[in-house]
Amino acid sequence: MNNLYRLFVRQKALVAIVIILVVMAMAPGLFSVGDQFYSAYNLLDMLNSSSILMILGFGVSLTIISGGCDLSIGGILVVAGILSIQLQDFMPMPLALLLAVLFGTLVGFVNGFLVVHQKTEPFIITLGVGLMLTGVAQQLSDAHPVPAKNPDFMQIGNGYLFGDGTFADGHFPGIPNLVIIMLVCFVLFAWLMRYTAFGRNLYAIGGDYDVARYSGIDVIKNKWMTLVISGTMAALGGVLLSSKLNTGSAVYGDFTALVVNCGAVVGGTSFAGGVGGIPQSALGLLVFGLLDNAMNMLTIPSWYQVMLKGAVIVAILWLDSYTQKRKRELV
Amino acid sequence: MRALGSILKDYLVLVMILGLALITAVIQPKFISPANLVNIMRQFGPLILVSLGMTFVIIGGFIDLSVAGTINLVAVVTISLIDPLGQAGALATGLFLGSVCGAMNAVLILTGGATTQAEALFITFGMSTVYSSFALIYSGGSTRHFWDLTTSHSVFDSIGAGDVGPLSVSFIIFLVALAILWIFHTRTAAGRAISLTGGNKTAARLAGVPVDRSIVLIYTIGGFMAALGAIVLFSRITTAAPVIGFGFETNAILAVVVGGTTLKGGKGSVLRTVMGVLLVIMLNNCLNLLGVSSYMQWAARGLILVFAIWLDNRKEVQGNQL
Repeated sequence: MNNLYRLFVRQKALVAIVIILVVMAMAPGLFSVGDQFYSAYNLLDMLNSSSILMILGFGVSLTIISGGCDLSIGGILVVAGILSIQLQDFMPMPLALLLAVLFGTLVGFVNGFLVVHQKTEPFIITLGVGLMLTGVAQQLSDAHPVPAKNPDFMQIGNGYLFGDGTFADGHFPGIPNLVIIMLVCFVLFAWLMRYTAFGRNLYAIGGDYDVARYSGIDVIKNKWMTLVISGTMAALGGVLLSSKLNTGSAVYGDFTALVVNCGAVVGGTSFAGGVGGIPQSALGLLVFGLLDNAMNMLTIPSWYQVMLKGAVIVAILWLDSYTQKRKRELV
Repeated sequence: MRALGSILKDYLVLVMILGLALITAVIQPKFISPANLVNIMRQFGPLILVSLGMTFVIIGGFIDLSVAGTINLVAVVTISLIDPLGQAGALATGLFLGSVCGAMNAVLILTGGATTQAEALFITFGMSTVYSSFALIYSGGSTRHFWDLTTSHSVFDSIGAGDVGPLSVSFIIFLVALAILWIFHTRTAAGRAISLTGGNKTAARLAGVPVDRSIVLIYTIGGFMAALGAIVLFSRITTAAPVIGFGFETNAILAVVVGGTTLKGGKGSVLRTVMGVLLVIMLNNCLNLLGVSSYMQWAARGLILVFAIWLDNRKEVQGNQL
């Protein structure tokens, strides 16, 4: 019994993924829906749409591991997405995309100043910054979707590498660009967290801020950096999302921030700081990608989908703080 | 001179908003017209009620983002019950439902052992989406109007637009709520326990303060006041949509923080929140009159929220150094 509890708490993400996969395997019999879930097309599509969430999640994981969090990523995502399209009217595409990503870096820098240098509560401050940016995004786009005109831009988020993206028997469709970008980020971040001094310092800071400071780690610089990275990754995610949808829009704000922060926690990263990792976060975010896809397959109405996702998020956070509580009581 | 400096530092947000009001009055003389001032008083209703509840949550050292969902849910449920249950029944059920929503947050926070504002923030954020989607599912996404109702809705009409002498009914509701909450907070043991809980949970628990009861109490009050705010809100606009509550949580937190109640918990008062709400509404009114688009008003509110929290935090840091 105790082992089962430990398995469930430590490997929340794996347990959730197995549950979803089993339910979907039985779904054609139980709910009279088709069996497209296990088709190559659907699984690749699911991975593709989870990729952007994961890219956001890698950056956010750094902030959470070092004992903070970043709720402004929703706002950064939408503003960067809209900027990447609107700036193309004035300059060549690569420059526009670069500026949009740099915007995220700038916001991350300001977040870092407020949260780390000035020592404010990261949760409420980044929530406020996200709120502000959502307003800016609506102003920029006049609360309408902004269509992109450049077909090359669309190709970034929809193209395939090593193939042409067509699905036929015995024909390799290739790997979507987004998945490639996600994998590159994954390797980079996993290496950063595991093998560099910066990554190891973040674990130390999240584990105990004061001990890390007395051990001679430049806590402010390191923690500040996490928010800069998280802002940059959020902007990158925004640019890729705009490219995938071929439009920029202000409507993906708050819920994205919540889902990504919680996704990292599902994987085993904890808001208490000091534990977790990039592979865990990737698995955690995959849970949300799978959940979305499975609910669509089961044709659950969108309001119920939102409710289910909200309930899952509450359950995860409850479990996260409950684990902390048990740990405290054991000590 | 130093005293002036410290007053300026303590009330910088107040000074800034008054400055904005002054500029607005110069550019747009309409700002100080009686019609506009009455307009400001009318907007006062729902937000102040929600903010009064939020004050207790923040004094208790927690935060509640679920009020938006609670308002959505209470509004659509209450209006749908006027026909089957009658007005008193609908009113009572609505207020009860709000309290239950609030208590539910407290139960999740207590059973999960969440001790920090951050954990509470995420849990209530999640609950807000749950309550909101309940509201959407219950109402089928449609908006209900008073003129669709077959039975009398006179009580709600008077809550929304009635007057008693020179005062509007919603203003009287506010005065009564303020008086009760102020007495509760300053004159009862349970009220003081909330401040102690917010000041230092561990110390409060060791000193025998009923911390768990305080947490249940603050969220229940928060939910109840959100429900009261929802009822005043939809009575005034005679329409209940499942989305009317969005934005209230940030406005309420903004009002509480601008009023001078610290997010660190333990310090603050409902009277400060009254000032905070006045400032927030005046700010919105000024921005409207100055022709700032509603999107940029969102951005401005976010900016002021960040600024106010930063300022609040600086005071704390300097206080510790002394």
